[in-house]
Amino acid sequence: MNTAAVRANRRKLAILAALVLLCAAGYMLVGVHFDNAKLFQYAMKIRTPKLIVILITAFAIGGASIVFQSVINNTIVTPCLLGMNSLYTLIHTAVVFAAGSGSILAANANCSFAVDLVLMGVVATVVYSFLFKKTKHNVLYVLLIGTVLSSFFSSIQSTLTRVMDPNEYDNLLATLVASFSNINSEIIAISLFVLAAIVFALRRELALLDVITLGKDQAINLGVDYDRCVRRLLLGVTLCIAVATAMVGPISFLGLIIANLSRQFLKTYRHSQLILGSALFGMVVLVGGQLLVEHVYSYTIPVSVFITVGGGVYFLYLLLTNRRA
Amino acid sequence: MQVKELTKRYDGKTVVNQVSFAIPKGKVISLIGPNGAGKSTVMGIISRLIARDGGMVDFEGSDIGKWKSRELSKRLAILTQANNIQMKLTVRELVTFGRFPYSGGRTTAEDQEIIDRAISYMELGAFEDQFIDELSGGQRQRAYIAMVIAQDTEYVLLDEPTNNLDIYHATNMMKIVRRLCDELGKTVILVLHEINYAAFYSDYICAFKDGRIAKFGTVKEVMTKENLSQVYGVDFEIMEIAGRPLSIYY
Amino acid sequence: MFALLLVLAVWSLFVGVLDVELSGLLQGDREHLEVFLISRLPRLLAILCTGIGMSVAGLIMQQLCMNKFVSPTTGATISSAQFGILLALLFLPNSTLWGRAIFSFAFAVFGTWIFVWFIQRIQFKDVVMVPLVGIMFGNVIGGITNYLAYKYEMTQALSTWLVGHFSMVLRGRYEIVWLTVPLVVLAFLFANHFNIVGMGKDFSQNLGVPYNFVLFLGLTIAAMITASVVVVVGSISYIGLIVPNLVAMFKGDKIRGTLIDTALFGALFVLVCDMVGRMVIFPYELPIELIVGIIGSVLFVALLLYRLRHGRKAVRLNRKEGGVA
Repeated sequence: MNTAAVRANRRKLAILAALVLLCAAGYMLVGVHFDNAKLFQYAMKIRTPKLIVILITAFAIGGASIVFQSVINNTIVTPCLLGMNSLYTLIHTAVVFAAGSGSILAANANCSFAVDLVLMGVVATVVYSFLFKKTKHNVLYVLLIGTVLSSFFSSIQSTLTRVMDPNEYDNLLATLVASFSNINSEIIAISLFVLAAIVFALRRELALLDVITLGKDQAINLGVDYDRCVRRLLLGVTLCIAVATAMVGPISFLGLIIANLSRQFLKTYRHSQLILGSALFGMVVLVGGQLLVEHVYSYTIPVSVFITVGGGVYFLYLLLTNRRA
Repeated sequence: MQVKELTKRYDGKTVVNQVSFAIPKGKVISLIGPNGAGKSTVMGIISRLIARDGGMVDFEGSDIGKWKSRELSKRLAILTQANNIQMKLTVRELVTFGRFPYSGGRTTAEDQEIIDRAISYMELGAFEDQFIDELSGGQRQRAYIAMVIAQDTEYVLLDEPTNNLDIYHATNMMKIVRRLCDELGKTVILVLHEINYAAFYSDYICAFKDGRIAKFGTVKEVMTKENLSQVYGVDFEIMEIAGRPLSIYY
Repeated sequence: MFALLLVLAVWSLFVGVLDVELSGLLQGDREHLEVFLISRLPRLLAILCTGIGMSVAGLIMQQLCMNKFVSPTTGATISSAQFGILLALLFLPNSTLWGRAIFSFAFAVFGTWIFVWFIQRIQFKDVVMVPLVGIMFGNVIGGITNYLAYKYEMTQALSTWLVGHFSMVLRGRYEIVWLTVPLVVLAFLFANHFNIVGMGKDFSQNLGVPYNFVLFLGLTIAAMITASVVVVVGSISYIGLIVPNLVAMFKGDKIRGTLIDTALFGALFVLVCDMVGRMVIFPYELPIELIVGIIGSVLFVALLLYRLRHGRKAVRLNRKEGGVA
């Protein structure tokens, strides 16, 4: 890329960052009582952790989606194919089914988060490592089997819900919708720590992403240990999604929207810029969406619905405009 | 570089069977043969893209599997047919990737010089800021060759470089192959379907049939009526044009 | 295979909580006869129709799209049918089974058409991408369905149609599933046409087969079969995916030759799954979706791995279909 284009993209990213700041400021300050110090403090206390959670989620999903698309070498897929959503849903259903919604595992936020994170992390690592070995690193087959497993999880989950007490079921449902509220600082800290650890562990592979996108043959020709690199990246993506999902609940299609927006907006192959762009777009979409949900729709529609519907439409648009996939 | 008793099986069927040959340095070597004779598979094994089931590839004293991939990529470059890139990449960016084995993502001033030379060598200067997917087939192929030149390897492996090119671009491609050898001193190994290109532009020909080497030698040695008829199973006539044997088949 | 099916079918008639014995039936015992006619026989017929219908629907879709991984599950048919049912429940709460069926038919047909229309416009690099896009397509529709269900508190009611089970199959409320019989016959009549259309537009025009007409006829048949099963039994994934693949492994790919085998094997497969589900925790029963989900996903993963290991053909095919790009 010539330097002019690099500079143009830096400018675009700066504009995006400014937009994020604007949204964040709007989110923090709209409808706040400036004249009443107590109310002001209260609003800040509620809104600050929410904002942080949103920013972390956007970063995790945005980054993971770009990496995922580049590894699969396809821009119309999202990491929701990895099945973390259905695993999350299954875990919650199984916990409520086995222990009841009043049990500490379901009612205590920290416990529930820990159970989610550990189970999802372990299952994802074991299953995907095994699949990579078995398929001799054929990424698409790994994914296809992954989706089979995720529909298998869903069929267990829906079987459980059918025999569940309706009251328990209502309690359960509330936890199955993505929400940024009521997430305490310990969970935020752990999530941040895990994400940082993932990024650190993958720092070498992330630098190879640009080459990976050239395709398997070219990457090997240029001296990349392709199989190992792809396996580690995909595991990292899965874990990132696991963290985000354990923190806020299942969000499908967010990744699809923001990763493609970033690609279209920046028109580059440089992953450092793409990932940053995707994360920033994620922040704009989520913070902006949350702003709308809280102040325009007064919480009647959860933000995940906006994203699913918007993402669905965007997906169809991508299918219509993409000639190759 | 030496290949010893290479074997590759797919689904119980042996597609490469005990293939051994030595590759002369600084020459152009063409692998020819009918479809499914195993020439592309041998090329894939030599370049570590395909895992083998038996035998060894001796590259400068040690087996190719023992080489560090990064080190190997400074000595040997492979260009396959499967080059569909989805991302928006300009010619110059693609060529820059050729320096990846040396400097990772960060190019030095020296790298930039090598890239400039590769681009002008392939006469791509006018297109260097165009996107790969906007180029014609011939231009795109040249951009990939420029990347291989920037990779600066002794050995260059090309899998059917003339595929999907018209006569004009295919002939130009073969002239480029010759120049890679004559001017830049590289050893070029290529898989070809067009026998006469192999005869006219290479030094050695290796003819495959049914997973084995049917004939390996200089162009003159291999390009005989009997050899070619035996390999391809059709009748051949050999003529001589410009001191080179050319074949007619019917 | 037919003999085996017959034996198992007769056996299954006599498995259940209430004892029904042949001697009782022959003596004209009223109670036995009633259980037999109201519950057992309808159940058996529903099972047979489901097995035959779903596997034939899968076979047709695979032939038409020339892709072994397309099926009612991976082609958005089932999720569209569910969406139709939900809309019927929401907007015509007093609708009869037939009313819901019509909604479901319309949406299933429409959804499948759209999906196939989309995938035909795109040049896929790899055959596995088609089902992945199909699954995402299904997720979009499923997301909207879930949202509507959540909003109108219909989630648990909807789960009746999300999880396939035969326990509610009784005389008077399952007859829609009989529709599969004429549809399968129709499919058999057009089998050769489907085969030709699967070879591509130019190929079929050369042979004087109206491409679009046959394509949409085939898809309509497959979607109607699927919808009639979803309305009565609920969704059963995998059958349409696995059964045709298993049969093709042994019998080859010519649709006319394999259609009957596929139908018989499909019926056998569902029957065995149903009996397993009824006997594992007797006197209770597990929903068929769960059993099919477990057996089906294991079989499917095994099939995929087998194809990978022995599938130079499969790999070749991938190249041929996508390599032009």
